[in-house]
Amino acid sequence: MYVDPNNNQQASNMRWILPYCKPDLPRIIAVSVLFVIDKVLVMIMPLLAGMIVDQVITQGHHDRLPQFCFAMIAVTLVRTVVRYGYQMFMERFGQNTIYRLVSDEYEKLHSLDFTYFNHTRIGDIMSRMTSDTDAIRHFLSWVTYNVADCVILFVGSLCVMVTIDWRLALALACVTPFLFFFTRALASHAHPLFFDIRNSLARLNSMVEENIEGNRVVKAFVREPFETKKFDEHNDDYMQRNMKLAYNSRRYMPWLDGSSFMLQLIILVFGGWLVIEGMMTLGDLVAFDSFLWMIDGPVRQSGWLINDIQRFNASCIKIRRLLTSHSRIVERPDAESSVEHANALLAKISNTESKAPERIGGEIRFDHVSFAFPDDPETPILKNLDFFVPAGSKLGILGETGSGKSTLVSMISRFYDPTVGHVLIDGIDARDWPLSTLRSQVSIVAQDTFLFSDTIGGNIAFGATANDEDFVSRVAAIAGADGFIRSMPEGYNTVVGERGVGLSGGQKQRLSLARALADDPSILVMDDTTSAVDMETEAEIQRHLSELETKKTIITIAHRISSVKDADLILVLEHGAIVEQGTHQDLVEAHGRYWEIYRKQLGLQSGQSAGFEE
Amino acid sequence: MHMARRNGAQRKNARRSADEAAKESVRSNGQRRNTFREDEELEEQINLRDIMRVGVYLKPYIGEVVRILTVVILMSGILVAVPYLIKIIIDSVIPNKDVSQLLLLGGVFLVAIVIYELCLRYRTVSITRVGQLMLKDMRRDLFSHIQTLPFSYFDSRPHGKILIRVVNYVNTLSDTLSSGLINVISDVFTFIITLVVMSVIDWKLTLWSLILFPVLIIWVRVLQFFQRKAYQKLSNKQSNLNAYIHESIAGVKTTQTFARERTQYETFQEQQGEVRKSWMTAVHIQFLMWPGVQNISTMTIAFIYYVGVMGFGGVNVSTGVLIAFIGYANNFWNPVINIGNFYNQLITCSAYLERIFETLDVVPEIQDKPGAATLPQIRGKVDFNDVVFRYEEGGRNILNLVDFHVEPGRTIALVGPTGAGKTTIINLLSRFYDVSEGSVTIDGYDVRDVTLESLRRQMGVMLQDTFIFSGNIRDNIRYGNLDASDEEIESAAKAVHAHEFIMEMPNGYDTVVEERGATLSAGQRQLIAFARVLLADPRILILDEATSNIDTRTEEALQAGLDHLLKGRTSFIIAHRLSTIENADEIFYIDHGQIMEHGSHDELLALKQAYFRLYESQYAMIRVANGGEALQAEQA
Repeated sequence: MYVDPNNNQQASNMRWILPYCKPDLPRIIAVSVLFVIDKVLVMIMPLLAGMIVDQVITQGHHDRLPQFCFAMIAVTLVRTVVRYGYQMFMERFGQNTIYRLVSDEYEKLHSLDFTYFNHTRIGDIMSRMTSDTDAIRHFLSWVTYNVADCVILFVGSLCVMVTIDWRLALALACVTPFLFFFTRALASHAHPLFFDIRNSLARLNSMVEENIEGNRVVKAFVREPFETKKFDEHNDDYMQRNMKLAYNSRRYMPWLDGSSFMLQLIILVFGGWLVIEGMMTLGDLVAFDSFLWMIDGPVRQSGWLINDIQRFNASCIKIRRLLTSHSRIVERPDAESSVEHANALLAKISNTESKAPERIGGEIRFDHVSFAFPDDPETPILKNLDFFVPAGSKLGILGETGSGKSTLVSMISRFYDPTVGHVLIDGIDARDWPLSTLRSQVSIVAQDTFLFSDTIGGNIAFGATANDEDFVSRVAAIAGADGFIRSMPEGYNTVVGERGVGLSGGQKQRLSLARALADDPSILVMDDTTSAVDMETEAEIQRHLSELETKKTIITIAHRISSVKDADLILVLEHGAIVEQGTHQDLVEAHGRYWEIYRKQLGLQSGQSAGFEE
Repeated sequence: MHMARRNGAQRKNARRSADEAAKESVRSNGQRRNTFREDEELEEQINLRDIMRVGVYLKPYIGEVVRILTVVILMSGILVAVPYLIKIIIDSVIPNKDVSQLLLLGGVFLVAIVIYELCLRYRTVSITRVGQLMLKDMRRDLFSHIQTLPFSYFDSRPHGKILIRVVNYVNTLSDTLSSGLINVISDVFTFIITLVVMSVIDWKLTLWSLILFPVLIIWVRVLQFFQRKAYQKLSNKQSNLNAYIHESIAGVKTTQTFARERTQYETFQEQQGEVRKSWMTAVHIQFLMWPGVQNISTMTIAFIYYVGVMGFGGVNVSTGVLIAFIGYANNFWNPVINIGNFYNQLITCSAYLERIFETLDVVPEIQDKPGAATLPQIRGKVDFNDVVFRYEEGGRNILNLVDFHVEPGRTIALVGPTGAGKTTIINLLSRFYDVSEGSVTIDGYDVRDVTLESLRRQMGVMLQDTFIFSGNIRDNIRYGNLDASDEEIESAAKAVHAHEFIMEMPNGYDTVVEERGATLSAGQRQLIAFARVLLADPRILILDEATSNIDTRTEEALQAGLDHLLKGRTSFIIAHRLSTIENADEIFYIDHGQIMEHGSHDELLALKQAYFRLYESQYAMIRVANGGEALQAEQA
C-alpha cells in the first residue's frame, strides 16, 4: 500500500488524495514556477500590443516595429513552451497519482474476504477502478491548474482594477457574493447527482458484465430480447441521471454566466456615469474595460469547474469506500514470529528438530467448530465439528448439496474464521498463521474452476515457483491432463478463455487440479474436483496422488463413494453436522447413512444387468 | 504478435465482404484466442467512414440539432454585438455626456443579457440531451448486437475487452459528440463570417494574413498522423488493462487460494505502467496542437502589423483600419484554435469509434436465413444426415459422417471420452454452429431453414456450468419462462427437489443471490438450473453433464423428477454416471467424431466392445474395495 487507507478517514477528499500526490511534490513545485512565468508572459502580451499601437502606429517610430514583432513572437514561443511544459508535468503528476491509487485499490481488493466478493458485483468494482479513477485523474491533471488560473486571474485583475479606480472596483466586487452563492448552490446540488450518476454507471456496468458472463444461458433460453429490455432500463436510467445534472446546470449556469455580463454592464453604466460626472477619466475607463476579459473567463468557467470538482468528490467517495472496506480475515501483526516461537516450543516438547517455518506439516484439527455467515448469524452452516487429521493422511467428506462441505474446507486456508471453536493447523490456530504461508501451503481445488485467459501451461504454473515445461507436464500427468492437452493443436500453448470456456467440465477440473499440484502444497483439498471426470481417469488420478513423493494431507469432497473409500477418515455431513465418521469399513459396518449411499451407488451401478449381482 | 496482425488483416476483409468475414472469423474464433496481454491490431489510416457513421446516430435528432444551432448562432451574434455596443458607448455616448443614451444602451445590453442567458438555459439541457440520446442509442446498438454473436465471440477474448466497448469507450465520446460537435459548427460559422468581414475591410491584407495557413494545415496533418497512432496504442493498452482488472476481480478467490497476490499485483502494475506510458506519449503529441496554433497566430499578427505599417506588398491602410483588422484577426484565430481542438478530439475518438464500429461489424456466423420460416410446435424427431463438422475449411473433422435418427420422446445418452465430439453434436442440434456437410433436421425441418428464435425456444439446454443471475431465486427460475406464475415456479422447483433447500433459506424464493450464485453451492445451482429448464417446457431436452455436482441422495430423488422431465420429450444426455446412462432408450458411444456403437444398455454390453469395457472398468472400480465384499457377504 502506498498510503494506509485507515489513516485519514475523516479527511476531506482533497486532504485524502494528498498523500498519493506527495512523491510528485518536486513536479508540482516546478509546475508552480512555470505557471507563474506563464501568467507573467500573458500579462506582457497586451502591453506589447499597446506599445506597438502607441509607439509605432501613433508616434510613427516605424524602425521599432521589427523589435516589437520579434518580441511578440519570442514571448509567445517561450510562453507556449512553458505552458506545454507544465501541462506535461501535470499529466505525468495525474498519471502517477492514479497509478498509486489504483495500485492500492488492487492490493486492497486482494486482501478482502470472500464475504465481500459474495456481495459485491464485478461491474461495480470495475467502475471504481476505471471510470472513477479517471474522474480523479481529470481533476488532478486539468481541473487543478484551471482553478488556479481562474482564481489568479480573478483576484489579480481585481487588484489591478482597484489601483485604477477603487469605486468601480468596489461596484464590481458587489457581484462576488452572488457568484459565491451560486457556485455554492450549484456545488451542493450537483454533488448527489454525480453520486447517482456514478452509481447508475456501476449498475449499467454490472448488468452488461453479467450478460457477457452468462451469454450461454441467455442464448440457450433465447432471452436476448429480455436482456435487451433489461439493458434499456439501465441505459435509460444512466441517461436520465445525466439529464438531471443538466437540469441542475440549467438552473445555476445562466446566473453565473450572466454575472460576467453584469460586470461589463456595471463598468459601462456606472463607469460611464463616473466619467460623465467627471470623477474618472475616459482613459481609465478604457483601461478598466481592457482588464475585464481577465475576469470574464474565470466567472464563465466557474460553473463547469464546480461540476468537475463535484464529480471528483463523488468518485473519491466511491473509491474511499472500497479502500476502507474492512476484511474479516486479517493477519495477526506478529504472525510470523509467533508461529516461529510456537514451532520452536513444539519441537522442544516432542524432541524433534524445528521444521522450516515456511513449510506446514499438514496436521489438521477442528476443535468444536461452529460457523454462521456474518450477514446471517441466525443460520448455522456448521455445527460443532470436532475431528483430527494427522499429517499425511487422507480425509474424505461426503454430504448432501449445501451441507457445508465447501465452507468447512475454506476454513482450513482461513477464508472464513470459525464463529465458535478453533481450527488448528500443525497444532497452531489458523488465525495465528501468516496468511501467505497458510494459503500457499493449503491448495484448494475449488468447485468453481476459474482459469485465467492464458495458455494452459501458464495456468498450470500459476501458483508454482518452478515453471519449466517438464515440471508443468509432470504435474499435468499426475492430474490426468497431460494426454488431452497434448492432443490439442497447440498443446500447452493453447490459450484458454476466461473461466476456461471452451474446455469441457472434466478438462477444466483436471487443469485446476494440476495447478494446485504445481504449487506443491502440504494440504491438498479437492472440492468435488473429479465430478465431471470419468471414473477410469479418476482412479488413475487417485493412484498418481498416492504415489506422490512428498507427503500431503489430502482432503477429498465427493459424492461418489469410489472417490473417498480409501480415505483414513471419512466424515458424513448433514445440515452442517457430522453424522458419521470412520473408515470405509467402519461406516459400512455401521449400517448408517454412508452404508445406505454406498448401497444405492452400488445398486444403481449394477442396475438391471444381472451379470454383476450375486 | 503476428497473430494479432492477422486479425487486423481479417478486419479489413470484414469490410470487404460479409461472406469472407464469416469464414475468417470462424478461423480466428475457432483457433486463436486473445488474452489480456495481446494488443488488437487496428488500421493505419484514419477512417473517415467511422466518423461519417456517427452521422447515422445524429440523424434522428437533426431537427433538435438545427434548433440548437440557431440558438448557438444567436448567442454568438450577441457575443459579437457586445464589443460593438461597448465601442459606441466609449466612443460617442460618454464623450457626449449623454446620460439618457447611456441608460438606454445599458437597458439594451441588459435585454441582450437576458436573451443570451435564456438561450444558454435552453442550450445547456438540449445539447446534453442530444449527446446522451446518441450515446444511449450507440450503447443499445452495441448491446443488442452483442446478443446476436455466437459463443465463440465471447470465448475468444477476455470479457473485460467486450465490456469496455459497451460502456467506457462510448462514454469517452460523450463530450465530443454533444458540445464539441455543436460548438465546432458554430465556430465554423464565426470563422467564415470573420473572414468575410476582414475581406470587406481589406482583401489584400486578408490574403496576407492567411499566408501562414498552409503551415498550420501541415502542422495539423503531421500531428494527426502521430496522434492517431498514439491513441490507437493507448486504447489497446487500456483495453488490456481493463481485461486484466476484470479477470483479476473474477479470479480473486483463485489468487487468494494460491497466495499469488504479489505476482498478480506486479503484473497489474506492469499493465498499468503500459497505460501510463502510452498515455504520456499520446498527450505529448496531442498537447502540441495548441502551441503550434498559438505561435502561428502570433506570427500572423506580427506579420499584419509589419505589412500594414510598412505598406508592404501593395497594402495601404489607415491606422484605424489596421487596429480594427488586428482585432478581427484575433477573433479569426479563436475559432481556428477551437476547430483544431475539435479535430484533435475527433482523432482521439476515432481510436474508440473504430473499436465500437468494429464490434458492430462482426457478422454473426449463425443468422436467420432471409425469409426463414418459424418452426411450428415440434414433436421432437431428430435426424442427423451424414453430418460432417469442422471449425474451418480444410481443418480437422470434429464430426465425421455422423448419421442417426431419433424418434420423438426417446432418451439418448451420449458417452465417450473427452473431446470425442459429444458436445459438438449438441451444439449442432441447437444450431450454435452450422454443419459443414450433411444436414440436421428436426421433424423434417432443416435447422438452417427456420428462425433461431423458434428453434431454440423449443429446446432446453442445461449445461454443467450453470449460470445464476443476481436477483432472487424466483426470478432465476422464471428465466426459463417469463410468463410463469409463482405456483408454476414452485412446482417446477418441487419436481427437481430444489424446493427443500430453497425453503430453508432465510427468505425462501425471495432470497437474493449474488452474481453467479456465489452464495450457493454448485449442487444447489444445478438444481435451480434444472427447475429453470423444466419451467421452459422444451420439446427437446439437452443435459450436458448436468448432474455432476449433485449428491447421491438428491440425485436419487431427482431421478423421479427427471423421469417426469424426460417423459414425452426427446432428450440428449451427456453424463459420466452410469446410473443416468443405463436408463436411456438408446446409448451412443462416440469416439473420434463418429458413433462407434449404439443400442440399448443391454445390447451394448452384449457387444462386448468399447461400452462394455467402460462399464466393466467403472463397475470394478466400485467393487474393489473391501467394503464391497463385506456388503456382498451381507446381502448373501
